[in-house]
Amino acid sequence: MCNLPIKVVCRANAEYMSPSGKVPFIHVGNQVVSELGPIVQFVKAKGHSLSDGLDEVQKAEMKAYMELVNNMLLTAELYLQWCDEATVGEITHARYGSPYPWPLNRILAYQKQWEVKRKMKAIGWGKKTLDQVLEDVDQCCQALSQRLGTQPYFFNKQPTELDALVFGHLYTILTTQLTNDELSEKVKNYSNLLAFCRRIEQHYFEDRAKGSSSIRLS
Amino acid sequence: MFSLLDPPVGAMSWPLCLLLPSLQTYARFTGAPLKVHKISNPWRSPSGTLPALRTSHGEVISVPHKIITHLRKEKFNADYDLSARQGADTLAFVSLLEEKLLPVLIHTFWIDAKNYVEVTRKWYAEAMPFPLNFFLPGRMQRQHMERLQLLCGEHRPEHEEELEKELYQDARECLTLLSQRLGSQKFFFGDAPASLDAFVFSYLALLLQVKLPSGKLQAHLRGLHNLCAYCTHILSLYFPWDGAEVPPPRQTPVSPETEEEPYRRRTQVLSVLAGLAAMVGYALLSGIVSVQRATPARTPGTGALGMAEGDEEE
Repeated sequence: MCNLPIKVVCRANAEYMSPSGKVPFIHVGNQVVSELGPIVQFVKAKGHSLSDGLDEVQKAEMKAYMELVNNMLLTAELYLQWCDEATVGEITHARYGSPYPWPLNRILAYQKQWEVKRKMKAIGWGKKTLDQVLEDVDQCCQALSQRLGTQPYFFNKQPTELDALVFGHLYTILTTQLTNDELSEKVKNYSNLLAFCRRIEQHYFEDRAKGSSSIRLS
Repeated sequence: MFSLLDPPVGAMSWPLCLLLPSLQTYARFTGAPLKVHKISNPWRSPSGTLPALRTSHGEVISVPHKIITHLRKEKFNADYDLSARQGADTLAFVSLLEEKLLPVLIHTFWIDAKNYVEVTRKWYAEAMPFPLNFFLPGRMQRQHMERLQLLCGEHRPEHEEELEKELYQDARECLTLLSQRLGSQKFFFGDAPASLDAFVFSYLALLLQVKLPSGKLQAHLRGLHNLCAYCTHILSLYFPWDGAEVPPPRQTPVSPETEEEPYRRRTQVLSVLAGLAAMVGYALLSGIVSVQRATPARTPGTGALGMAEGDEEE
């Protein structure tokens, strides 16, 4: 959205390379910056920002909605990947352990699962059932849908960090194959969110892909 | 009629459950008839944890957001007049508070050494009955520390100061954002309070009312005048007897005594019994007092007695 040239690289040890232990992170020159917040600040310091046109109240709302997405959608995604036994058995363990040989793939996968479950317990999601998690996702999507309304983007006609974040999560939910499709069904209930994703995909990814082949989204 | 069981109220108890003041405030906003019972032993609550709500049907609910849902079902809904967009904003701002402000509040009250030793632990030790006051505060501190570590991710010890600075910076930014959102309005959504106001008020009032030895965040909050005025306004409207400036210590001499009354007799009796048991046990083990079995009337027995007597004579 900022028109900056990037190259997406997948690495198995990305979590260990990151300074804070969290992905994604960017590597620019000799600097490494991880997580969305610091990356946005870093890019802003270099002179590119999407939210300069917002007033103070709008900036406050944007930050609040970004936290909502992190709180609900991100946690729900983690829950579904690591705490739902069906998904864990069929997809997550295989995917997480794929770069490593046996028995490392099993050990690392179980270790990660244990870590995620501990975190879930700490924030109070440990005792939630899948239905409750899906209900929370529904509530979050409803809030986002109401905020978006009929506008093309969340704030005026220009996209901001919030649009990027929401697109990232919703697109992933809609396009990732899981054992059950309930999560993506919840998102599909909101037609304006679907239109929003489609619009961004067309505008920023398909058009770019014709020009340069750096990002490829299947 | 609802009964809400909660630990001793007043500025003392709020850290016990950071959601509790928001529950009480929400109830006050909606006019729900709520009676607050102060108990300091979590095991005396009907569900085993605090806070707990006992409804008029005798049901017990102890998960905070379920308590609010229940109140709403009983037609005590502070968000009734909000538009859909405002409801969405509420959700977003509550998430913001929980992500940015809550960890710092936990850190301020439980992890910051000065605050913990001088304020938090003292409150709990005074409010809880013997012998809970010895180990329960320490256990709660360990739980909070673990929770904070999990929330903020893995970090190496040398980066701890940096992490702390970052946390506080995030919290200051969060407060500034709230101030900007509130502007010069009386409440977040116009003239009537909503559930978001209950949440925000509970966090802010905690920070403002408590005298902390090292209150970095407090200083920042005091600089945001519209938030301070907002808190004082809600306090004067809905909590008139607590007041903004009335010092809580005036009430403390009264309440701990009445709390301790039922326990004092019990602890006295228990300690006397424990002392007696210890003395008797020691005496038996060291042989000062020995228990002799009554011997049956037989020759070897009397022989033994005779020998004993013989020894004595010698």
